[in-house]
Amino acid sequence: MTREARWSRGPRLQEAGLLVVILLLGCVLTAASDRIEVRGETVNNFLRFDNLVPNVATPMSWMAIMAAGATLVIISGGIDISVGSIFGLSALGAAAVLQYMPVDAPAYAVLPVACAVPLAIGMLCGLINGALVVFLRMHPFIVTLGTLSIFRGIGLVAVKSKTLPSLGHRLPDAFTDFIGARLYYGGEAKTFIQPVPMIIMLACIAAAWIYLSRSVAGREIYAVGGNEEAARFSGLAVGRIKLRVYVLAGLAAGIAGMVSAGFYQSANTATGLGYELTVIASAVVGGASLTGGRGTALGAVLGALVIKLIENGIDILKMVDLGLFAFYVSKEYSKIIIGIAIIVAVAIDRFSEYLRARRLSR
Amino acid sequence: MSEPFLQLRSVSKSFGGVRALAGVSLDVEQGECHALVGENGAGKSTLGKVLAGIHVPDRGEILLDGRLLTLRGPADAVAAGVGMVHQELAFCPDLSVAENLALGRYPRRLRFLVDRAAMTERAQALLARIGCDLDVSRPMRTLTTGQEQMVQIAAALGTGARILIFDEPTSSLSEGEAERLFELIAGLKAEGVTMIYISHRMPEVFRLCDRITVLRDGERVGTVPAAATGQDQLVRMMIGRPLEEYFPRHLATSSERVLLRVAGLSSPGRFSGVSFELREGEILGCAGLVGAGRSDVATALFGLDRRATGQVELDGRALPLGRPREAMRRGLALVPEDRKRQGLILMMGGRHNYSLATLDRLSRFGLVRRALERREAERSFRELDVRTPSLDAPVAGLSGGNQQKVVLAKWLARDSRVLIADEPTRGVDVGAKAAIHGLLDRLAQRGVGILLISSELPELLHLSTRILVMREGRLAGELSRQQASQESLLRLMAQGSRAG
Repeated sequence: MTREARWSRGPRLQEAGLLVVILLLGCVLTAASDRIEVRGETVNNFLRFDNLVPNVATPMSWMAIMAAGATLVIISGGIDISVGSIFGLSALGAAAVLQYMPVDAPAYAVLPVACAVPLAIGMLCGLINGALVVFLRMHPFIVTLGTLSIFRGIGLVAVKSKTLPSLGHRLPDAFTDFIGARLYYGGEAKTFIQPVPMIIMLACIAAAWIYLSRSVAGREIYAVGGNEEAARFSGLAVGRIKLRVYVLAGLAAGIAGMVSAGFYQSANTATGLGYELTVIASAVVGGASLTGGRGTALGAVLGALVIKLIENGIDILKMVDLGLFAFYVSKEYSKIIIGIAIIVAVAIDRFSEYLRARRLSR
Repeated sequence: MSEPFLQLRSVSKSFGGVRALAGVSLDVEQGECHALVGENGAGKSTLGKVLAGIHVPDRGEILLDGRLLTLRGPADAVAAGVGMVHQELAFCPDLSVAENLALGRYPRRLRFLVDRAAMTERAQALLARIGCDLDVSRPMRTLTTGQEQMVQIAAALGTGARILIFDEPTSSLSEGEAERLFELIAGLKAEGVTMIYISHRMPEVFRLCDRITVLRDGERVGTVPAAATGQDQLVRMMIGRPLEEYFPRHLATSSERVLLRVAGLSSPGRFSGVSFELREGEILGCAGLVGAGRSDVATALFGLDRRATGQVELDGRALPLGRPREAMRRGLALVPEDRKRQGLILMMGGRHNYSLATLDRLSRFGLVRRALERREAERSFRELDVRTPSLDAPVAGLSGGNQQKVVLAKWLARDSRVLIADEPTRGVDVGAKAAIHGLLDRLAQRGVGILLISSELPELLHLSTRILVMREGRLAGELSRQQASQESLLRLMAQGSRAG
């Protein structure tokens, strides 16, 4: 048992690698961005608090929450591409109910409703996904491709005005003030951060981390994704475990929908359109293996961070000057670059798997 | 004396620090059948794969017919005339036999159309050469393992192989299929095909091979002529010490108390009307040909066959069928037939595999008690002598014997009253096999009732108190330890069936 360390480092290596990638990305973006003048000081346009917090960490919050949920599903050997639609429907549902509460309703009345509605919608959607996968034995990609369209469609049919709250309504202040609570620094009205989404994200990631690495239920998910047949032969209730995973992914999307609705003080029928790509990309960049059995909650949040950093980098860089040659990047490139990032991340993952397999084969 | 046909000169190969082959030199004469034997992990499969171009050796050289071979991949080996018949089969299951045989070398028509007639004809010719009569339009998926192997051999010979490497070819064949394979190998030898035969199984090695090379821990222990060597001597060379003769002790203790009573157990299309009793402290053997329904009965007893009907009583109380968790809770354990598919989660470490069936006991408030889990796994692995680089090393990298011990450890952790062990020593080396036999014996002494399903008759005869024989989904009979012999078992197993 003396050579233990070498082996047990396996999964953690992935996250360490991601941290290196994030640091490198940070260095590149810092070096490439302009110096700008903010409140009389010259600062780096990328590496400054009021870029990194409001433009990276805060908007990444709901992505990371959903990525943690997607990671659970992917570890179990499934896939949920309906997250964006569940997210949108939960946000719409929250807004639809809350807009009828008085604007000045007290927090103890508003917050339970604000939590219950989107979370219930998310879990219900997840339950539908899970039930179709487990009881009809359909491939999760097909099931969630269908529900991706159905959940989006329900929003479109139910909300004729496209945007909620509808004209003349507002979401209760107790809700929007809570999610959007401002923390001032620097003594100016313009300098503040909104920490609540990030706190909710950290809480969700911590919960997912404990769930996956310490709980029996988490262990069961890895087992089912690693080898479903062997899990069955070990007496695990495979159907129930899968169902649970989709419900939890739905719950994550519901939480994310609630945060988004509160943060933007509204939701519309296009909310979360196309998010499945970013969410699944975060999970995969974070080391979750689509063949199941591998992935971590920490990986999911780091994956989301990588993608948000790339998006942010493209936003703030007008021109990249690498000395020898310079090129212009416009916002439109972000999809291409993120696509490349996904493929590179998975290629690196494949390669390390290959090395590991070579070491093990005898 | 002429040069040997195939020469290996101090071939070495390591996998990330683990030495699989350490300077192995070997001569193979033209037209001989040369056996490679050794315990699992001794390096014999690695050596085979080096010859087949699957692994590139770190050092050393290979000479074929006096010419230096550089094998950078399987394609090089095929071009040089080395063909390998793999343990795991390497075909496209949904393509037909003919298409698989033509894979990559389709006969063409008009440059880009596949000439189906020519393809079928060629496939038939290839199979006819080895005396195999098979409808070449059948999808590969529908073939038995034995038939697939025939197709592999035909494919290798079709590419002009002068040397054929067999890696554990009989490990998943029925007796009848194995017999056909032996005849084919004898025929090929008569034609002058050189063969390298990798196996654990002593009888077939002695029957088929001219010379035997023994490997141990990646090194060549020696090469001996088969005709002048005894089994005991070979086993000693393999494990480096004499194997003590061992008499099962559980036979001394007997109990009349029935632990498991099965009456009229049936599953449509699999088996029907199976009834037997398993007593405390006995090892009840179960013999039968592959496909006789033995493993299906085991799976049904464990509760994984939803269509099974019949009465099962465990410790005097009825056990509902179709509910594995209930069966486990009541003290029934199943070590399944196929450890890689059913027994283990290969990418997981030993510790996590160990605790999979006992997570209820090893947890508090839904959280795994990891220190306790680690302690228990360590203790159990030490007891069973599981050799693993660490508790968390993926079990995929362990040898067959160690993998099987992990599966056993997982079920021993539950302290079950009844253990169904389905082929517990398939594909494990001599040392691990003896260890597993000793373990089963100790369990029986402690009062555990064991249903031992095995295709190895000597194993059943050695360990069992009584032996059940299954044939075509039914119980064909029961023999006491005194009545049972290879002949009486085989007669019951094969009676009235074509496979005979």
